[in-house]
Amino acid sequence: MNKKKIGIIGGGISGACLGYHLSLYDNAEVTLFEKDTIGGASTSKSAGTVCLFDDSINNRYWDVRLYGFESYLKMENEEKGSAGFDNTGTLVVATDEKVEATIKTGIALAKAAGYKGEYITDKDRIKEILPDISTDNILGAGYTNDDGYFDGTMISNTYAKKMTQNGGIIKTGVKVTEITKNGNKVTGLKTSDGGDYEFDAVVDCTGPWSKFTGEMVGLDVPMWHTKAEAFFLCPPGKKLSYTFPVLKYPYFYALRAGDNIFICKAHLSMDLNNPMHAGHWDPDKLPPTGGTDDYFIDFLLDQLEARVPGIVDSGLVSSWLSYRAEPADFRPILGKTPVEGYILATGYGGNGVIEAPACSRDLAKLIMRDESTPVLDEWTFSRFVK
Amino acid sequence: MNIAVLIKQVPVSDNVSVDPETHALIRSSSEGMINPADRNAIEAAIVLKEQTGGKTVVFTMGPPNAEKALREAMAIGCDESCLITDRCFGGGDTVATAKVIAKGIEKYGSFDLIIGGAMSSDGATGQVGAMAAEYLGIPHISEVSSLSCGDNGNIIAEKRYQGMQVKIKAVLPALVTVNFGCNEPRMATLRSSRAAKTKPLATYTNAELCMAKEDTGLAGSPTVVTDSFEPEHAKKAEMLTGSPAEMAARLKELIDSEKGKE
Repeated sequence: MNKKKIGIIGGGISGACLGYHLSLYDNAEVTLFEKDTIGGASTSKSAGTVCLFDDSINNRYWDVRLYGFESYLKMENEEKGSAGFDNTGTLVVATDEKVEATIKTGIALAKAAGYKGEYITDKDRIKEILPDISTDNILGAGYTNDDGYFDGTMISNTYAKKMTQNGGIIKTGVKVTEITKNGNKVTGLKTSDGGDYEFDAVVDCTGPWSKFTGEMVGLDVPMWHTKAEAFFLCPPGKKLSYTFPVLKYPYFYALRAGDNIFICKAHLSMDLNNPMHAGHWDPDKLPPTGGTDDYFIDFLLDQLEARVPGIVDSGLVSSWLSYRAEPADFRPILGKTPVEGYILATGYGGNGVIEAPACSRDLAKLIMRDESTPVLDEWTFSRFVK
Repeated sequence: MNIAVLIKQVPVSDNVSVDPETHALIRSSSEGMINPADRNAIEAAIVLKEQTGGKTVVFTMGPPNAEKALREAMAIGCDESCLITDRCFGGGDTVATAKVIAKGIEKYGSFDLIIGGAMSSDGATGQVGAMAAEYLGIPHISEVSSLSCGDNGNIIAEKRYQGMQVKIKAVLPALVTVNFGCNEPRMATLRSSRAAKTKPLATYTNAELCMAKEDTGLAGSPTVVTDSFEPEHAKKAEMLTGSPAEMAARLKELIDSEKGKE
């Protein structure tokens, strides 16, 4: 059987997940290149929330959300901890009628899929779930105790392990230095350890590095970096007396991280025209901790004073800054490009953990059978060319 | 009690560049953080100030971006701060550094007590505190595990010394360095971080300190760094696999094979 040789650049959630889905095809020969460790870069700074209903992904793409959630539950059922699932439940707060409508639709979809979900207007009940919340100026909240958050790094490593069990090859600590072409067709790539590989297709799964990776083939990947600024807070009294759920507001979200609380600005609240939110930066220059802007402290203080006053006097344990790979319409860029054999699986923004499984499943079908899907048709590179 | 706190901004990770000629760290090449033992010094100072009144002033000598460490120290609870910064101070050894810090403290005002961390996570000499005390002409107690106010304007410190736990009383003014982990440092909050932006921060360059060139930086350093390198790690890790019984058996084999070796 003639095997199709595919090279994947990037071993985060995108690359590891795609590598696994490709390895399911008997006629695929997959090699993944990661310059550091699997799931160790921007994936490791992901909150990992895969909620059954919130505004992080439009309800139109419910099947993408559900496939991701159930893929990780399946992982956990096969080996507990392999997706790092913390079943804290989720509370999504309706601050206006538009948000309320989105939440109610999401609850209906979750219930149709067999999961629990309720829209609560009884403010005492909301405070039972999260005692530190302020119920002033909210219409209600959606709640389920069926979901929570996962661990992107654990998931990436689980996919990587499954990929190698299926015969895929993973090379870590190896940087791709050149993508070789013959005219406008990709023929392979070269690596920092002197490797020279021939591939029928090369897939860019480098996320925030995609602009640099694209330059290797002369492709301008239309993407911004938006800042994902996050704090870890130590709650007053050091330990909460209740299970802190994944908490979602339009402008920020929070979840428990051990005894601490992880809190981050929502990616859909980022303004690509605001240089404090978005720009073009070098992800290699990101520090492992710190790097957050002063304005974020003011933003967070104002939000917590108004929304979750019970934790506003939490101690600041640490912070970090990450860059999200964000196209202009906040949707991923998937599939073929004007460079033959060069495929994109990037621009997941803050939704890589949610979207990677369904998108990788579809991309594998595109790469191996040349069959597209509705999601790929919509999230295509060519939408920017138009 | 007016207390000066000495802190140092150290690299967050070991991914920091080294000047190939002077072998000094290029501090601007890495994100900085407050030296861990200095957080214990800040906590000790704030506790004493809460007991006695007065104010805490945090000092650091470093590049301009060390202001970040001072703002964080003020967010934790220090009242004022002073950044001592000048290109001519850069690259100095512990002697040159101690001279500059002592001068900066003298210029700022009078203090009853000066507290610093016993050792930094980068240089780890543990010398600057004691040297600064000598240049200030005050007694010092180093590597202290606890600190409290005594009677009649003195301070009582406890430390381990030659296998014993000793209690030392010092007349003020004095300088004390505290061990990492001697207390539980409080954290800044969002509110205190915002308030810290408007707390006083003085900046002293050599224009203010008027130190002779031969007393600062490389010129003022009687020691010379001849090399900086990352030590080679000869030991390797073996990942044990298999059932718990198999891993336990293998672990026992490894332990038995290492017995008697240095």
